[in-house]
Amino acid sequence: MAERLDKHILKNEMVLLGEPMEAVESVAFGFMLPAGAAQLPDGCCGAGSVIADWIFRGAGDKSSRELGDALDGLGLHRAGGVGSSHISIGAALEADNLAQSLDLYADIILRASLKEDQFELARQLAIDGVLALDDDPRQKVMLELRERFYPSPLGRSALGHIDELKALTAESTKAIIKNNFNLSQTIFAVAGKYDFDLISRQMEDLFITDHPQARPPSADSLEAATPAQAVANLSPRKRGYTHLHNDGAQVHIGLMTETVKPTDEDYYNARVAVSVLSGGMSARLFTEVREKRGLCYAIGARYHGLKSAAGIMCYAGTTPEKGQETLDVIIGEFNRLIEGTSEEEIERAKVGLKSVLILQSESSSSRAGGIASDYYMYGRVRSLDEIKGKIEATSVDSVLGFLRNNKFTDFTVVTIGPKCLK
Amino acid sequence: MEFKKKKLANGLNLIGEVNKSAKSAAVGFFVKSGARDEPKQINGVSHYLEHMLFKGTEKLSAFEVNEAFDRTGAQFNAFTSEENTVFYAAVLPEYLVEVTGLWIELMRPALRDEDFNIEKNVIKEEIAMYKDLPSFDVMERCRSLHFDGHPCGNSVLGSGESIDNLTAEQMRSFFVRRYAPNNMVLACAGNFDWDRICSIAESSCSKWQRQAAGRKLEPYGGSKKKERVEKSNLAREHICLMSPCVPAQDPRRFAASLLAVITGDDVGSRFFWELVDKALAEAAAMQFGAMDGTGTFCSYIRCSRENVPKVLDTIRDIFRSLTESGVTDDELKKAKNKILSALVIKNELPMGRLIDLGFNWIYLEQYRTIEDDISAIRAVTVDDVHSLIEQFNPGDFTQLSIGPSQDSS
Repeated sequence: MAERLDKHILKNEMVLLGEPMEAVESVAFGFMLPAGAAQLPDGCCGAGSVIADWIFRGAGDKSSRELGDALDGLGLHRAGGVGSSHISIGAALEADNLAQSLDLYADIILRASLKEDQFELARQLAIDGVLALDDDPRQKVMLELRERFYPSPLGRSALGHIDELKALTAESTKAIIKNNFNLSQTIFAVAGKYDFDLISRQMEDLFITDHPQARPPSADSLEAATPAQAVANLSPRKRGYTHLHNDGAQVHIGLMTETVKPTDEDYYNARVAVSVLSGGMSARLFTEVREKRGLCYAIGARYHGLKSAAGIMCYAGTTPEKGQETLDVIIGEFNRLIEGTSEEEIERAKVGLKSVLILQSESSSSRAGGIASDYYMYGRVRSLDEIKGKIEATSVDSVLGFLRNNKFTDFTVVTIGPKCLK
Repeated sequence: MEFKKKKLANGLNLIGEVNKSAKSAAVGFFVKSGARDEPKQINGVSHYLEHMLFKGTEKLSAFEVNEAFDRTGAQFNAFTSEENTVFYAAVLPEYLVEVTGLWIELMRPALRDEDFNIEKNVIKEEIAMYKDLPSFDVMERCRSLHFDGHPCGNSVLGSGESIDNLTAEQMRSFFVRRYAPNNMVLACAGNFDWDRICSIAESSCSKWQRQAAGRKLEPYGGSKKKERVEKSNLAREHICLMSPCVPAQDPRRFAASLLAVITGDDVGSRFFWELVDKALAEAAAMQFGAMDGTGTFCSYIRCSRENVPKVLDTIRDIFRSLTESGVTDDELKKAKNKILSALVIKNELPMGRLIDLGFNWIYLEQYRTIEDDISAIRAVTVDDVHSLIEQFNPGDFTQLSIGPSQDSS
């Protein structure tokens, strides 16, 4: 696994990263633009999803329809979304069409038409997306959970809130784009089949600017500060238990508890611990909740990390009469971790984590996403060998040591369904 | 890429595509067993059986099965459709033999009463989960309305009632008929040693008994019925449209896929520009579903209650214009580029390749290279698409909607 990493920094300070892959004909690329939900001014929750739509509604000399047709004509499979820190836009495609695609994406980022009539349509779709959440309680419970677990604004819903979406105007949204589409804070990543020298020259021409933009004040600059300062500047969490009523067939349970951040020295111990809890089908939650008790079909936990806060996030869906027992068994399993784990459990957790890493390394989209988020999180890209080594280095003792120093004392719980728990 | 195949005396097909440059390998059992093969009284048994295969054999408990998979780091699971049950795993090359051996063991499960009883709860939770997903619920209800008594309209999950009444004995007898070697394919893709896979399959599967499995392929025309279901807890209108199309065995399936992309791909299609771009609907997509001896065009649209009349008018206009004016060269070219790049990207992963390899054998008993599919897509003409529209007018559809009460909007 001696993968190569290409890196070039443009004159405007935008970072270009690349990971060449043998044996693929495709390429995937992505731009991470510093305009995620937590980066936006207060009262604009959801502006990110409006922006991610609006910038595609015409750019450069192309109308919305012409731009869409041009992207489709290149066979692009568009990917992207709005996260806590960034808006990501990009695509996977056949390698020969990369240069033409980058021309179009430069127009989208630098010269989006941003017409008022198109703004109204983008905003309406964003509002509809929030309304449709009521018909998808499983997704809604996890969004509500994040908002309550993370200190504000880190857990803000990327989909937004209806009242704040309604208050947005084309002008206020344009101002956000102007402030937040900061090229010096933008990360570009490419993986698959490409020529990095060609890309670097093309990107230098496409993204030429007179001088680097000033960095606007945002939650991200808080994130970049020392952890103590960062936490002091964030609003406290609204933790505890919240129930939202819905006359559906199941009660949807979301649960989250604090753990170490991706940059913490105990990060890999935390990942292995979560894997013991919910890595594979022999992991504890699946075994205890589904296999032994038949309480749920869907049950699982995963690590969820931002730059300045992280948690272990768990979802379970069950019929209302089994809701309380399900929640009790889940919390019991979180707490039982500290009582000890076997060598075999740790070994399975480690093999599972390493296997996922290598299987994902065959996909150009996964790699492009992986190197970009690594650069944002760590300021560098971890090699697969480094990650593999860190996973290998964990042990029963190191995982237990981590668990003893980071006890699960506080759970944020949200349920949606016909019946409240507790 | 090198294709390999072997048929055992009992009818089990072994196929593989070896790609020594891949970093992983994938293996799967493809079983011709799904909801359409089930008598009404035991509807849901194929899917339930899929769960029960993970519950172990005479020698292995359920936990030991899960442990054995997890020790290899396999990404493994299974799914059941109207006509197939597929068990698959993606692993690092050094584990493929072990994981294949494990799947082979699991294909002869214990089907113990106590496991059956516990798993019944899990199945009923899965049914409840999908009831809370209206985008799924509307499609299943529409399929049932469209096929109107034809077995392809059977629910994959079954109903609470059919699952409650199902006995372990009924499941065992269904298992013997459908999990016969002559009704299954074992497929591998990626970086693996074909001779070793063959030899473990031969030594372990040759004793499996051939059965008269089979499937009746009855013709159908689609009911064209229109119905609406009210659910008071819903906020949006969920609409599903279904019409007949060519089967998986028909060479016109490539033209059908292209027509679905032109009409209802999630971006850049006619649905997209007329419905989503104009914010009339927040989701609108059409897909071609190729099945054994039959096929469907299936569309899903989600919008506000007040937009429903406008949305349905727009859809009628889109389908009318397809019938009256057809598609353009430019539309066809864009659709080809989208399908071709998706095909290349998907097949770069052994797991993606496995699925195409297995289904080509299930439906066609044929090995098709990626290049075969690329050529077939490139060869489709505007006239091919037009003759498909003429024969299978997608505007003549069955329609089912689920949404809030009429007076609550």
